[in-house]
Amino acid sequence: MIRKTIGIVDYGVGNHASVQRAFQALGYRCWISRDSDVLADSDVIVLPGVGAYPSAMSALHTNGLVKFLRDQVRLGQPMIGLCLGMQLLADESHEHEITAGLGLIPGKVVPLESAYWHIGWNTIEIVNGDKLLIPSDGESVYFNHSYVFKVPKEYQICISRLDKPFTVGVRRGNVVGLQFHPEKSQSAGRIILKNLVEGLNRA
Amino acid sequence: MLKKRLIGVITIRHGWSVQSFGYNRYLPLGKPEVLIENLDRWGADEILVQCVDRSKYDLGPDFELLRRIGTLGLSTPLIYAGGIRHATDAVFAVSLGADRVSVDAMLWDSPHMLEILSRELGTQAIIANMPVRQHNHMLYWLNYRFGHERILDASLLSVLPLEWVSEVMLTDWSHEGMAGGYDYQIPLCFPLTDKPLLLFGGLTETTQFQRLLSLTNVVGAGVGNFLCYKEHAIQQIKQNVVGVPMRAAHYAEDKYIL
Repeated sequence: MIRKTIGIVDYGVGNHASVQRAFQALGYRCWISRDSDVLADSDVIVLPGVGAYPSAMSALHTNGLVKFLRDQVRLGQPMIGLCLGMQLLADESHEHEITAGLGLIPGKVVPLESAYWHIGWNTIEIVNGDKLLIPSDGESVYFNHSYVFKVPKEYQICISRLDKPFTVGVRRGNVVGLQFHPEKSQSAGRIILKNLVEGLNRA
Repeated sequence: MLKKRLIGVITIRHGWSVQSFGYNRYLPLGKPEVLIENLDRWGADEILVQCVDRSKYDLGPDFELLRRIGTLGLSTPLIYAGGIRHATDAVFAVSLGADRVSVDAMLWDSPHMLEILSRELGTQAIIANMPVRQHNHMLYWLNYRFGHERILDASLLSVLPLEWVSEVMLTDWSHEGMAGGYDYQIPLCFPLTDKPLLLFGGLTETTQFQRLLSLTNVVGAGVGNFLCYKEHAIQQIKQNVVGVPMRAAHYAEDKYIL
């Protein structure tokens, strides 16, 4: 069996090493790269991210990755955004200032309504019957964020709750975003990553 | 529902993990990586690695240690503490595998840096560690590098920019390493009642976890020395604490051969 390859986007923001090791532990080949040829050759592009939205988008622009990522999605290459990487998929963010995002999934990133932050382990609920995430319905995963992706319901695949429910998983075709950190969610997270990589296929 | 966290704390001094008693006496335990792997295997909710000598001797963060930890491929969230001087340090620590950073000396030396850290990493990634003791319902905040204290009251907190940190860790330094020693009054005396709190120092008994984690603003408890000799301690604590939302304790069976 040919092992799938994961192209982790290196734009100088985030915890690439943790993400890489999580995929390697699942048996996938991983490249951390900002080289568009390397990323385009992978079966799945993973966009990680830790930090603030404006500096992350600025880093994507600086590294010439914005157009590349948009083009690859148009070509049908599967992409997974993790935490801040999920938020970057949006049209815009209101973190610190209004910043245009990648615009791959309609919606905007706004502050959490129920709390200042959402930190720790929380339960996820799968909505809209997404087959790739259904096995993980009710699992606890690790969150660490203060902004959320406000998205039309048709793109919502996963929610979590504080006082109110909010979106923690989005999908549009082959593009999936997860607000939590599956790479730091122990066995629950690894099952999610495996199901996504195996379930998303090039168009 | 958001769960309360049980945080495995590993204290490191001169590159070795140690048992720490009252911030002034240390017993060597061994290689940090071994203890960190244990906590990852046992299903801790977070792991805090705190290098207690880095700020004291102005050494900066222990990036080499973080690199070594990075190679372990942890599946548990990692908090790093020790020697963080500015945003560049914090961002680099995250790039090496830390999910969050905790600062202590920065609160004394350059509290304005908190905003800069927050703008780089997001406030959710920043924890303030405050070693305190309680006397007559008043908290005394210890500058451990110089051994002096300040009264931690509302007026002092009003000039500390803690809006740029997501959680405050109240460490009962005088009872650190003492079984059942954590002073119950500490979280009750902290003036910022809406700030999420982590507690650490002398937490060992089920009754302590039960009582302290039941407080609304206490979101996690750190356990250090007492996890080192008990392989099932995390499971036992989680099973015995009732009525508090905690994640079930899972051994990492898919990653480690048991």
